Amino acid sequence: MTPKPKAVVLALGLAALVAGCGHSSHITKEADHGTADLRMESMIDSKTDNPVHTIVMPHDEPEFPPGPGRDEFVTACVVCHSPRYITMQPRFPRAAWLSEVKKMQDTYGAHISDEQALQIADYLFSINGKAGSGKAPKGTYGE
Amino acid sequence: MNRRGFLRLIGATGVAALTASCSRINSAAGTLSSPSNLIRFPEKTEMIFLTDRPPQLETPIHYFRQDLTPNEAFFVRWHLEGIPTSVDLRTFRLNVSGHVRQPLQLSVDELRSKFDPISIVAVNQCSGNSRSFFHPRVPGGQWKHGACGNAKWTGVSMKSILDRAQVKAGAVDVSFNGLDVPPLPSIADFVKALSIDHARDGEVLIAYAMNDQPLPMVNGFPLRLVVPGWYGTYWVKAVSDITVLPQPFSNFWTDKAYRIPSAPNGTESPQNLATDTVPINKFNVRSIFVRPDSDEILHPGMPTEIEGVAFDAGYGIRRVEVSTDGGTTWADARLDPEIGKYSWRRWRASWTPRNRGQYRLMARATNAVGETQSKEQWNRAGFMWNVIQQVDVKVG
Repeated sequence: MTPKPKAVVLALGLAALVAGCGHSSHITKEADHGTADLRMESMIDSKTDNPVHTIVMPHDEPEFPPGPGRDEFVTACVVCHSPRYITMQPRFPRAAWLSEVKKMQDTYGAHISDEQALQIADYLFSINGKAGSGKAPKGTYGE
Repeated sequence: MNRRGFLRLIGATGVAALTASCSRINSAAGTLSSPSNLIRFPEKTEMIFLTDRPPQLETPIHYFRQDLTPNEAFFVRWHLEGIPTSVDLRTFRLNVSGHVRQPLQLSVDELRSKFDPISIVAVNQCSGNSRSFFHPRVPGGQWKHGACGNAKWTGVSMKSILDRAQVKAGAVDVSFNGLDVPPLPSIADFVKALSIDHARDGEVLIAYAMNDQPLPMVNGFPLRLVVPGWYGTYWVKAVSDITVLPQPFSNFWTDKAYRIPSAPNGTESPQNLATDTVPINKFNVRSIFVRPDSDEILHPGMPTEIEGVAFDAGYGIRRVEVSTDGGTTWADARLDPEIGKYSWRRWRASWTPRNRGQYRLMARATNAVGETQSKEQWNRAGFMWNVIQQVDVKVG
């Protein structure tokens, strides 16, 4: 009787987790950070002796899981804002997600049909939803 | 270390850390979990990462141990994707027009050389600071308590600029537009306004320096409107166009967005939403714990310094009370000297926990006009959070 098999399984499990991370956006982010840092220092210098002040914005946007409505989401929403506007939210009931999508359509003029709005709401609910009938209050959140 | 010890260690920290650092998207389950990662933007240090486009970055709380929040750690919040990333100071002008006799086009050099500089230490706080603590949760930037900061702002008073432009009789509002642009023509440009009297009160500034340095680009380089005691939505970044209006200003960002229930402290309930709303305006009174952290382990018999900051709309913090027993008993904290009426004021309390166990720390600030913090609060937009904060700590 030896504990080794369990330890091996555990080690493999951890390796799998690490490997899983390798496919995430975090690896790219590290690379981006390095570039951004170098650029940043040159920009700070330029602020004092160069009248043109320029920065380069980092982009760090997550991949979204496949599923019905994903294409509509990526096409219609990511034009104007990072998908992190979704990933930073807590889980909301479907009605709350639909209300957010309708706000984008009606208030901000997102180029989507009513049918696409429903597909996008279903997709957002599938990746970041929670059960419940809690309807989001009507009104503009503004922020 | 034996195997059991190793497993316990890995179980407690290794897997948790790995999982936390992994992608927040779990494709297998098709779900997302909540993030708390950091990111570094140009001219900024590592900040809590809400969104990248447009950027929303939160200040880690430990920076609030300093009276002035460093520029590189000051929170960032933009509305529209098209934020300025390059400014040529040779061609940039601050345009003052509208209901004035003498329209102006001022370079940053002219603002620095042809006007008297004034400085003010003031808190800037996002309307939605602490939004993630509302229950039920509301959509929007899911800030914790770090969407605020305290800085020394230096620039030119709006009054002196308006005087030079010779405002005509009958002016009502003054609007402020920045260099940011909407990604679609259907989205309203981000423009905010103040009443003419407010704009001319001598305290509203066009700032060209923040803590004696040019502003970081993402904090509004080269000029930022400073509206002491008012929420950050009015502090227009990269401000380039000032328009004096003979009629009340009207646009989406004032008429529809950034509104609060007219009830005291902007409160309403999900079951009974307010129908009467007003534009958000002055800060309410609040305090924020700076230390200890909830994950800090304290020890029985060991003196512990509890510390935080408190601020309001400029009346002045007069009292901060601290409880170490979940609100049963309260004792006055010591207040640091006032830095300025719009600055935050630091408070401290010494505490020596006697026994092991869980303790709930609370802090409650009161200002010079008797306003104090809420016991409970909710509104649909998640604005103006000032509920008495609770920090649960372990003494072991």
